[in-house]
Amino acid sequence: MKKNMSRREFMRIAGLASGASILAACAPSTTTTTAPEGTEAGPGETTEGAPAADTVTVTFTGWGGAEENDGVLAAAEYFEGENPDIKINWIQIPENYAEKLLAMVAAGTPPDTAFCYNTIYQDYVSKGLLMDITANLEADPVVGAPDYFIEPQEKDRCTVDGKWYGIGSCWVAGQMYYNADIFEAEGIEPPSNDPDEAWEWDKFLEVARQLTTDANGKHPGEDGFDPDNIERWGVQWPQNNLVFLHSAVADNGGRWINPETGLVELDSPEASEGLQNVADLMLVEHVAPRGAAFSALGLTNTQMLENGTLAMAIDGSWALSWITKINANLGTATLPRMKSLGTDMQAHIHVGLAGSENPDQAWQWLRFLATEYYQLIFLKMGLWLPSQTALMTPEGMEKWYTERKGPGDGIHPAGYDKIVTKFVPEYGHVLYMPPGYTEADAVITPALDAVWVGDETAQMAMETAVPEANAILEEAKA
Amino acid sequence: MNKTSVLSGQRPSQTNSGFGRFLHWFRTPKGRRTVTGYIFIGPFILGVLFWVVYPAGMAAWLAFHEWNLISPAKFVGLKNFETMLGDKLFWQSLKVTSVYTFVSVPLGMIVSFSMALLINTKVRGIAIFRTIYYLPSIMPAVANAVLWAWILNTDFGLLNAGLHFIGLPKIAWLQEPEWTLPALILMSLWGVGQAMIIFLAGLQGIDEVFYEAAKIDGAGSWAQLVHITIPMMSSVFFFNLIMGIINSFQVFTAGYLITNGGPQNASLFYVLYLYRNGFQHLKMGYASALSWVLFFIIAFFTAFIFRTLGRRVYYQ
Repeated sequence: MKKNMSRREFMRIAGLASGASILAACAPSTTTTTAPEGTEAGPGETTEGAPAADTVTVTFTGWGGAEENDGVLAAAEYFEGENPDIKINWIQIPENYAEKLLAMVAAGTPPDTAFCYNTIYQDYVSKGLLMDITANLEADPVVGAPDYFIEPQEKDRCTVDGKWYGIGSCWVAGQMYYNADIFEAEGIEPPSNDPDEAWEWDKFLEVARQLTTDANGKHPGEDGFDPDNIERWGVQWPQNNLVFLHSAVADNGGRWINPETGLVELDSPEASEGLQNVADLMLVEHVAPRGAAFSALGLTNTQMLENGTLAMAIDGSWALSWITKINANLGTATLPRMKSLGTDMQAHIHVGLAGSENPDQAWQWLRFLATEYYQLIFLKMGLWLPSQTALMTPEGMEKWYTERKGPGDGIHPAGYDKIVTKFVPEYGHVLYMPPGYTEADAVITPALDAVWVGDETAQMAMETAVPEANAILEEAKA
Repeated sequence: MNKTSVLSGQRPSQTNSGFGRFLHWFRTPKGRRTVTGYIFIGPFILGVLFWVVYPAGMAAWLAFHEWNLISPAKFVGLKNFETMLGDKLFWQSLKVTSVYTFVSVPLGMIVSFSMALLINTKVRGIAIFRTIYYLPSIMPAVANAVLWAWILNTDFGLLNAGLHFIGLPKIAWLQEPEWTLPALILMSLWGVGQAMIIFLAGLQGIDEVFYEAAKIDGAGSWAQLVHITIPMMSSVFFFNLIMGIINSFQVFTAGYLITNGGPQNASLFYVLYLYRNGFQHLKMGYASALSWVLFFIIAFFTAFIFRTLGRRVYYQ
């Protein structure tokens, strides 16, 4: 027998010992109030060795800024007060949400409930990631009532083959904001919130040119106008967000995706002309600043509206929650009409995950998220538009709508009720992305980059990119 | 077995338990030294095992599978590697990354070496200059990216304001595909402080006697640079070249944060494409295959440089 331990033996023993200690440290703790993995214990039952635990923790993941975070926390507190046996564990993931959510799923620790991007919802359903809540919803006297939600939009966005896997959080849409002081100073009649009075595209271009000025006070189209030295832009129409590009496509009577085939349709004349109109604002008309990158830099459309270097901004209805804070007179309007007035209408969907250990409690929380109480929190701050019919009636709107009389006084600019009750529900187009769209988009977005700098027309770019994107979608379908 | 004797260390040969032998061995000076050593390097070894060896092994396994993070992985043989051959974006990302590497690494070395020469002079306040030139390289990558996104902005950026001032037209740095990679290479020079410090250390390690002898023989400063400084620094050049190539093949942050691979895939760096496949297109197997291909590409270039230049490096 050897007298001394060999190095190899030492390594083996040391390795085993440290490995065991690390595994022990990684083992799930059984002292928490959540039901542990792999036990037969139902929700709320106690687990071996743990103190009597009456509460079940429901995890809830989502993105959002500070206001959304505060809103969710306040709602969770209210919900816990009503349901003392359920505790909500809110996990805010502001960036790379989809990636981190999937990492949680892959690690075997999916959240019980979550925000889900509307564009990826059908993909998740097809992969079996989401909890079927059809029976719960249909049996519920409140949220299951026939006219509770704006229909058929709610059913359309939430059901796949007739089954519900989530409930829409609200609605949001593309719209226009403008600095009313600039319009007044220039003596121009501002655009309207009433879709019946929406500006025609040519009228919009004419006003945008009037409002764009270079350092010498000249406007686009005038002799000596210097497009490299603009001091005030007429409009900004972002190209880095699907919402505003789909708004343009819908506004020109086109479709991003054909709902029957699930294939991209951006090569149609209507769709590509809508996209070209956005590019021409920068390239031909010189009324819009170039480059999508500036919003990440603290130089946002909000600041530009406030300091008067931008007269009109196309942005999401959700942006009202911060644009309303600017120190200037603010107006809102429908989008200008290209060929057939339209806008993008969407919102994230609240879902339960199929891997949840606490499906009943998860449903209770999802149901709460679809109640008036929860929606009102975000309606009041201007972040959301209602998806519940009761909140769109004159009496319902009194609960959340506050007319903005000036900076710091009220949230919703004069006439905004027309956006809520008419423009969005009647002219909003919902976009349903088929499985595999994320990958197909890796073809569409670079092709559009060439359009924004004028290297290609939208028609040319889409004629090449769309068949490629559709080949990816066909493969994903198969 | 006599436990007492084991603990007192007197009759170790009579124990046959592994733990007993360990205790005995531990009491010897060599044993203690060995254990102490392993305790010190233990955190590092564990880190490597858990965060490098295990993930790399998993990636090697996944490279032959299809896995969408949700359903169980499916064995597909060499399919992921075959897909790569016909994948336009794979070749595009390889091209973008290679151009970036083979321009930014030599350029970065020239700039960092020149800066090291400048801050190696004996002037008043040299410590302040050294600090200033080194500062950008300790800036967080994200802060750096945000700063440069603004500098490179077409309508509001500092760079275009400078061009406009001297009467040149605006350049859409981050929107025109042909300008994007040059812009990101320019931005990479912002972080050469790290290499500069290594060059500076090398410069200060060169013995003064060489320069004195050269001066006596009438060598000017250019001749001194070419015939003394650069040859004496060959090992530092070699180190910076290897590290530069390894790091820049893995470039990610700028392409991800500022341009998101665009415009028109002009900044689709290899690792960004890998990340997209794994976490956005849910093709974890394909992403793992890509990661191993990148490993072999870097290994190839490193070996190639060692083979060709390694022998010519002069070590004092």
